[in-house]
Amino acid sequence: MRVVGVDIGGTFTDLALYDTDSGATHVHKVPSTPDEPGHALITGIKELCGQAGLAPADVDAVFHGTTVATNAVLQHRGATAGMITTRGVRDIVHIGRHQRPQNYSIMQDIPWQTKPFVQRRHRKVVSERIVPPSGDVLVELDEDEVRAAAQELQSEGVTAVAVCFLFAYLNDTHEQRAAEIVRDEMPDAFVTTSAGIFPQFREFERFTTACMNAFVGPGIGTYLESLAGSLRDENVPGKLHVMMSNGGVATARAAAEKPVTLLLSGPAAGILGGQWAGELSERQRLITFDMGGTSADIGIVTERGVAEASARDTWVAGYPLLVPMLDVHTIGAGGGSIAYVDEAGGFRVGPRSAGARPGPACYGFGGEEATITDANVALGRIDPDRFLGGEIKLDRDLALGAVERLADQLGVGLYEAAEGVITIANASMARAIRSRTIEKGHDPRDFTLVAFGGAGSLHAAEVADSLGVPEVLIPPYPGITSATGLLTSDLKYDQMRTVFMIEGSIDAERLNRELTELQADVKRRLLEDGIPDEDIAVSASLDCRYVGQGYELRVPLPELQFTDAALAEFHGMHEQEYQHAMHDPIEIVNLRVTAIGARPKLGKPQLSPGDLTDALLGEGESVFRSNGSLEAIPTRYLDRSRLPLNKTVPGPVVIFQRDTTVLVPPAWGAVAQESGNLILERRPV
Amino acid sequence: MSVAETRVDPITASVIGGALDSIAIEMGHKLARMSYSSIIRESEDFGTVICDAEARQLCESPQSTPLQSGPIPGYVRGINRRFEEIGEEWKPGDVVMHNHPYYGSSHGPDVGFLVPVFVGDELVGFSGSTAHHLDIGALTPGSCGIVDATDAYAEGLQFNAIKIEEEGKRNEWVWHILRDNIRMSDIVVADMQAQIAASRIGAERFLELIDRYGLETVQGASEDLMDYSERVLRTEIEKLPDGTYSAEGMIDGYLDHVDPAYRDLPICAAVTIDGSDLIVDLEGTAPQVDLPINMPFEGTVDIAIYLVLRSILLDSETHPPVPTNSGLFRPIAIRAPEGCLANPRYPAPTIARFVAGNIIAETVMRALAPHMPEAVAASVGNLKVIASSGIRDGGHWVHMDIIEGSYGGRYGKDGLDAVDTLYGNTRNNPIEDIESHLPLRVTRYELQEDEAGAGRWRGGLGSIRDVEFTEPGGFSIEADGNKWPPLGIFGGSDGTAGSIVLNPGTDKAESLPSKIPYRKVDAGETIRTVAPSAGGYGEPAERDVDAIQEDILDDFVSEESAKRDYPQYREA
Repeated sequence: MRVVGVDIGGTFTDLALYDTDSGATHVHKVPSTPDEPGHALITGIKELCGQAGLAPADVDAVFHGTTVATNAVLQHRGATAGMITTRGVRDIVHIGRHQRPQNYSIMQDIPWQTKPFVQRRHRKVVSERIVPPSGDVLVELDEDEVRAAAQELQSEGVTAVAVCFLFAYLNDTHEQRAAEIVRDEMPDAFVTTSAGIFPQFREFERFTTACMNAFVGPGIGTYLESLAGSLRDENVPGKLHVMMSNGGVATARAAAEKPVTLLLSGPAAGILGGQWAGELSERQRLITFDMGGTSADIGIVTERGVAEASARDTWVAGYPLLVPMLDVHTIGAGGGSIAYVDEAGGFRVGPRSAGARPGPACYGFGGEEATITDANVALGRIDPDRFLGGEIKLDRDLALGAVERLADQLGVGLYEAAEGVITIANASMARAIRSRTIEKGHDPRDFTLVAFGGAGSLHAAEVADSLGVPEVLIPPYPGITSATGLLTSDLKYDQMRTVFMIEGSIDAERLNRELTELQADVKRRLLEDGIPDEDIAVSASLDCRYVGQGYELRVPLPELQFTDAALAEFHGMHEQEYQHAMHDPIEIVNLRVTAIGARPKLGKPQLSPGDLTDALLGEGESVFRSNGSLEAIPTRYLDRSRLPLNKTVPGPVVIFQRDTTVLVPPAWGAVAQESGNLILERRPV
Repeated sequence: MSVAETRVDPITASVIGGALDSIAIEMGHKLARMSYSSIIRESEDFGTVICDAEARQLCESPQSTPLQSGPIPGYVRGINRRFEEIGEEWKPGDVVMHNHPYYGSSHGPDVGFLVPVFVGDELVGFSGSTAHHLDIGALTPGSCGIVDATDAYAEGLQFNAIKIEEEGKRNEWVWHILRDNIRMSDIVVADMQAQIAASRIGAERFLELIDRYGLETVQGASEDLMDYSERVLRTEIEKLPDGTYSAEGMIDGYLDHVDPAYRDLPICAAVTIDGSDLIVDLEGTAPQVDLPINMPFEGTVDIAIYLVLRSILLDSETHPPVPTNSGLFRPIAIRAPEGCLANPRYPAPTIARFVAGNIIAETVMRALAPHMPEAVAASVGNLKVIASSGIRDGGHWVHMDIIEGSYGGRYGKDGLDAVDTLYGNTRNNPIEDIESHLPLRVTRYELQEDEAGAGRWRGGLGSIRDVEFTEPGGFSIEADGNKWPPLGIFGGSDGTAGSIVLNPGTDKAESLPSKIPYRKVDAGETIRTVAPSAGGYGEPAERDVDAIQEDILDDFVSEESAKRDYPQYREA
């Protein structure tokens, strides 16, 4: 079987091909074609197949990570969407939680007020009302009103409709019936319901999620359809699958129904790529650190798998989003982040970025301000002739000039300023990692830092140092880790239901009946996707809290059924998360099930190691702090592909490969493993 | 731009500044998640702060409400003052509970829990949290809408620097007093324990920071960061012309009170710019009253003023981020004559001071408006706080809702619709949460159409909210702005005052004033609150015709009023 992973980014389209029969892996990178993404996809697949001695017709499946949905939200380019909601709550999506995003601002905008997914004129109300606790109907749905609303929306040019009723998570019959009527009246429209995406309480967040789904729905549908069409035209027989924010892939058809589940498609694939690399070296506890040109993404992997965000904390582009997603923490620090001295004399690095144009000063496209990349060049940690495999020649003098100007403003030496830029950037990344580990009860010293992206491996050792993380792992293809992540992913479907049951009056029979129903539902979807029964694994969990609390913790149900053991587990989890447990009754808020359909996994890469002489490319000088002062130290430049296996190469060295540069500081050593990974370790003092 | 004298290098200062922020964020994050009452966990009416040994604020959680985090240094100063009076001092392992509004607390329900941080024998700082508690043992259920308390004793329990844990040992007797004197004490006590846990986490993290960088470096960096924030603010003040600028605002007070001394009360502010110093003088503000709309000078009045000055001088939308610390207070001096609403004498009651403080903030903003027209908004629509309660399964239930206001029009932008305003920044409770846990039904929650002040940039819309009791119960309300509408600015029209109606649209309909002491209701009765819609900015005749048409399409403005208020629309 031959599978291809394609990660379409703003600048580059990354591809990886894996042949499960021969074990061969091929990787490739082509410029993206934003106006017609399918073009880069096809070009890339053809060239990649050429490299591998195959034809596009030999590709059995295509896995795709996309930023199209994310960009539609960020740029606010979507369909003219409408909403049908319960009479009396027309403006839930406008008022939100009545909180201002910023505490100290008069001039701020509120995204859902200035850039609503559904304008007020397209928000229609109808008579109906469901009430808690069990979803009883207080007011019957007025079907004539729904029909009239749909006709109005049709005449207003609306092409996507979200049906959002209060308490639909308890009883979705009104939403379902209303959606049916809308489809009847508006046969060409994209129709979605709030409970159909995720039946979870908190109306502002759920309605907003549904409205966002409607807003991006038609565009994503067209996009995926055109990609599938391009593949058909080239006789690629493999089905198109898309990476979702939850770290699973779905068929293009399933993804098109819930495009709102694709918003973290790219970063999720990156974490999975990091996880795959960790598995090659038998490391289970990982901090994935994906640093690119403008931002860095951080994810956590433990024995329990990739950490997932709790639904209360998931935001995209300033809007709340109630869908399962991996816990990706993004900070504004990348190679292009600008370092500057502000009006009051404060020294700042990022989040302002030079982007791709003008880019860092050393790119020579007219950038004047010093960036992180310029600081790395100034310190001799990037070889200007070997940046990104020599594809872009950097101008060292321009980097020095920019850092010099910064140094003058700060009143320090050139190296001090350059080191300062790196120190501040590394500290902010370490802080972000700290917030994902220590604050959640994990000790970073038990973790391996998996560094990738264009800049991750330049900063990883120093970031690890400041966290006490003992080792850094650089995957085989750090620059296209997301594309490899796509090849390691499984098909995955989540389902959930809000129940609200309190310890002491838990209806275990009902819980288990509902769990069984949900499990059957997600399993059926995998079977429909053609996954054989024996390759399907189902898991279940409960979202629990102490009665009265507002945030839940997710308690796994290893036996897939509820037993009292789950409640005991909750106390322990609360203690770990908050260093504090209570003795109050526990409330079960949501049931969750996940079904995973296993796919063939990417194997380890084939290597052609040599000895140190084969690997030696040359020698330069890099600046490091030693005994308190900054010194230029002779530093060897090595070619990663020829590194000898299982031999520690002591720092300082800079290791080059086509898609990134690895910095091994003086106190560290590097070992190339048979797994294809490069491991950096602190050397014993 | 040159670099100022610093104690530690700017790189280390920046790293320590970031670490301090993370500590406060972690404290806030954990407090919100561990707490029980919806006023803390959903509304986020809490604050977390680290202070240095001199009670100067070093950081705050951005999740917290400014009116909660801002006062914390004042809590520490108040505790110190009390300790001095009674010959007590901070010891390692102490946890101090405090809520005394004449000793730095914001008002009684905002109970602070402070943990001292020691390095050896040396007191090096404090980790603290404040949060609004559902009930503090006042005369009627709940901790808001206690509008008929005649003195501080009627407002509930007063904690003046109480060591609830002394050198690591829990003082069980205090917990017994709390349990016996507070309604819904299970929830309140659990929230207090969550606060203590969050304050302890902050203390641990602060110590780790000191371990890592050394005390001297952390202290040096703290001084540098405060100097930095002070410098940033002074730079902005200096851009304003020297002089004194005044404005006056009005609050409803007690509209149904027989004595005019309780109604239609002026709030006066004179702002003097002198180089990089800024002085706010509240002379002329109405005298204090023996009902609880007096505002603690420290803890409410100062925070309202700091908040609004920071929001217009260092607006986070238009300025780079600045560390939140006591350096931001240094350029600002505040005066208010003793015995006025803004500086009452003990034991004048203060528990319902929230909405009046909003008018202080916005009066200061209006005083400065002519000199910074691109940074201010026309007047805001004020807020309402409602306590609902009843008896269920033999015990009390109490619920608090903060009803949003609205922002006035701004330079280049219409006002924000239906949001919490100025020094408040809480969140509403989801309808699906309220109805799942309480005998209440929210039958309407929408924008109030067609009432915002016209202008080149119109005011924000208020909300309209109907809540029905499904079982017998009671409620009380503290609100303002039922009589005095939000003012327009630079030619913009005034907005519309808010209202409160019991059983709207029925033959039992009853219009209520903005202060409503506890009152019983039957099952089936409905309270309607209408938030004020804010004032307009600039001449209506200058409004873009397309914007008027868009407003009509969205029913923000009716065709009729567009024709009345906007000549260009009539003509178009």
